Amino acid sequence: MDKPSSSLVRSHCVGTTAVVYASDYLNRLTGEKIERECRRQLNCGCRALVIDFSDTKLVNSIGISILLGIIDVAEKSGAKIAFSEVNSQTVQLFEMLGLTQHVVLAKDEHEALLTLSGFETTPIVH
Amino acid sequence: MNKSSSSKNFRRVLAQVEPSEFIGRETQLDRIVARAKPEKVQPNLLLLMEPAAGVSELLRQAYDEIFNRQNSVIPIYFAFTRNETTAVSAAIEFLITFLQQYIAFRENDPAIAQSTLTLQELLARAQANDRQWIKELVEEYKRRISGDDTELVRFCLLAPQQIPAERGRPFIMLDGAQLAQYLNGSVQLGKEVVSMLVRGGFNFVLAGLRRQILDATRKALGEAYPTYEFEHMLVTRLTPHESSQLVEQVARRHEVATSEHTRDLLVQQFDGSPFFINAFLQTARAKGKGLTSHFDCQRLYVEELFGGHLHSYFETLLEEISPEVNTRPQLIKLLWNVVSGKRQGQSFADWQELLSLDEDELKTMLGRLHMHEFVNWEAVNIHVATGPDVWTDYLKLRYALDVANKPRALVFGDTLTDLLKRQPTKQGAQVNLGKVVSRFNCQQVPEVLFDYAKFSRKYKGEEPEIIHSGLETDPKLELPQTVYVANCSSLQIQLPQTCEDKHCVIARTFKQRRYSDAQEVVWLVAYLHEKDAVAVNEADARRWCERLKAVGKDFQFGDSQIWLISNSGFTDEALELMEKEHKAFSSNKQQFKLLSDWLGTTGESGVDAESPEGDSGNPGAGNSKPSEFSLEMPFDDENELIAAGTLELLARRLPFRTEAINQIKLAVIEACINVFEHSFSPDRKISQRFRLESDRLVVTISSRGVVPTNLNGASSRSDTTEAAEARRGYGLILIRSLMDEVEFERVDDGTSLRMTKYLRETAS
Repeated sequence: MDKPSSSLVRSHCVGTTAVVYASDYLNRLTGEKIERECRRQLNCGCRALVIDFSDTKLVNSIGISILLGIIDVAEKSGAKIAFSEVNSQTVQLFEMLGLTQHVVLAKDEHEALLTLSGFETTPIVH
Repeated sequence: MNKSSSSKNFRRVLAQVEPSEFIGRETQLDRIVARAKPEKVQPNLLLLMEPAAGVSELLRQAYDEIFNRQNSVIPIYFAFTRNETTAVSAAIEFLITFLQQYIAFRENDPAIAQSTLTLQELLARAQANDRQWIKELVEEYKRRISGDDTELVRFCLLAPQQIPAERGRPFIMLDGAQLAQYLNGSVQLGKEVVSMLVRGGFNFVLAGLRRQILDATRKALGEAYPTYEFEHMLVTRLTPHESSQLVEQVARRHEVATSEHTRDLLVQQFDGSPFFINAFLQTARAKGKGLTSHFDCQRLYVEELFGGHLHSYFETLLEEISPEVNTRPQLIKLLWNVVSGKRQGQSFADWQELLSLDEDELKTMLGRLHMHEFVNWEAVNIHVATGPDVWTDYLKLRYALDVANKPRALVFGDTLTDLLKRQPTKQGAQVNLGKVVSRFNCQQVPEVLFDYAKFSRKYKGEEPEIIHSGLETDPKLELPQTVYVANCSSLQIQLPQTCEDKHCVIARTFKQRRYSDAQEVVWLVAYLHEKDAVAVNEADARRWCERLKAVGKDFQFGDSQIWLISNSGFTDEALELMEKEHKAFSSNKQQFKLLSDWLGTTGESGVDAESPEGDSGNPGAGNSKPSEFSLEMPFDDENELIAAGTLELLARRLPFRTEAINQIKLAVIEACINVFEHSFSPDRKISQRFRLESDRLVVTISSRGVVPTNLNGASSRSDTTEAAEARRGYGLILIRSLMDEVEFERVDDGTSLRMTKYLRETAS
């Protein structure tokens, strides 16, 4: 179900997974909007996040630091996170700065949802 | 910035040229206009003008820009002129000008600002809701006119305070404040002007000669406002490139025919002064003379020196500096003897004796000479500066006429023939040695660039690409770090005739940035312009080396390094002498240009990339001209994308792969963000230069007051505790990863980041 967002970030939920769409240029302004939306989704009970980069051409270092913040928040909430449809230049950037150690990179949104649903169904053993 | 001048409804009010034709002062204009705000702006601005750099049109352009906005800031422009003989008359003129411009602004009618109206006529033109306060102002003025002079002057200068707050806030631009101190009478107008502007709480810009205005403000504010601060903005002469544009544009406007060579001549002869360039071309128009040959130019120039605008300008200055008519020839004699090298600089006591002046009279005269930068005077030390060519040419003919008492016709002929003979030298490469030498900062450069013999053997006749790729792998020489460069003239050094003042410099340097006696080396550098494009022979090389060596000895320099540069190179005998006896470096013009390129000074007046001659003997030179583009933009969200977009267009001119272009774009974005985030720049602007060379793209990003994050291991923002903020610093990591070379340089008022990407792989 699509949800209108106050911060104009497009997002929707599939079960307990929220899909948040990044804009064409991920900088401080758009990054903070995504961060707010992700926090909102986690507070609403989402257990996994997909950030979709299909529209994203450029990510700058501030955008990356905000993404790292989102990863932190998600980890603390026990939520899994995946990035989908990231272009090759941005993948290189993520690799360079170590983001890929913390997130799953998926070919597209569908693959990301499938991957995360696999995590969801894995029983937690204490 | 959204300029009203770009609007189709823009009207000229006081400016003498269209905004689009106003050359070389865009940054200064933006900074002035940005201060025209309805609220109080602190600190106010002092425009510190280099003599003859011209500031009036800059202020008039600012006036028009603010006028056309028609918002709540009311521009007031007033120029002190030599027509006003007393402080009182100047102050009254200010009052009338203020009212005239206020009413013009309120009526939105430029014609009122341009007309000559009496106070009564102005009152009649005022809008009904302004009439009462203007009437009271005029009546009060009439009551005071027969009273105390100082009170009247203060009343006039404070008149803009009477503008009702709901009408707007005045923004006052005072022009030519240097003239104020010469006004006769009992009131020190310069002091009063500064005091009233400050006391009145105005937003204002005060413009004048740099040396005078600083002194005047210090004196005026010393006791009453000891902590009052100004922002300073230097207005220097135009660069050769800007001067060239100005000459071309003014000539076109006045319909004066010129040629490429005569334009070059005017650029060099007038040394970047818009005032001289405009005055000269106005005369050409008035006399209906074309300037298509050197002879045309120099003939008119000599006429101007003898009796035109140039003559009037210097004549007036000399009269102001030395009002006593009997002293003037002695002053001219003294100045010319030092400038021409007949005599060394004199002490205060010598000047006193030679000019027959008492101590106070001499101090007054020296103060004025110092203000106009004809001398540098500090306590008992007096150094005569050579000044621009036009000043020395004028001084020379005044010496011949007034001191040597030669017949006028003879002096005219001598001056003209001397100028014509000087032309081949004047038409040489536009070189600013100081600029290049001052860039030495321990860079590794190809040592062959300092060895003419080796360079000729290896590269003579080679294509630029081969030279460039060869230089990449040639053995390198580590340059020292230059800490100070002075032209020879400023050290009172006499030169052999084949060298111009600015083509001989002394540079104080240290090897490896180690500041000890053992590491200090003084570079003695001369650029020789030989006539007839012949190589420097043994005799000339000997003369130069010995002269420079003697300079080192005279000044008791320790280790020194001689470097001679010649347009056409050196003979074998000259090279042998230079190497064996002096261990001197040798370069021709091409080597110098390549070094300049290597250091990134081409385009900054190091070497004129468009230099018309001299390379013909060096095949390949001239085809390797780099292209350089510059962009200045305000700090604003996502403006970095504009820079990245511009860069992408430029980078596509070289065969970079798409991936490399994306890397450069991101590096530029990161560099811009770094500036946005960490700069303390007062003008909130970022400057970018993109330089395309055959094998690389060099991007230089600079801003005033930048402290790049992590340059010193810490962010400039220490108050943030946010986790995201703590992760900052990736920008520089990215830049270093994405570009081949990254170099920070601290410059006088900020930081510059230079990034280079090489074309290592060709597009496939």
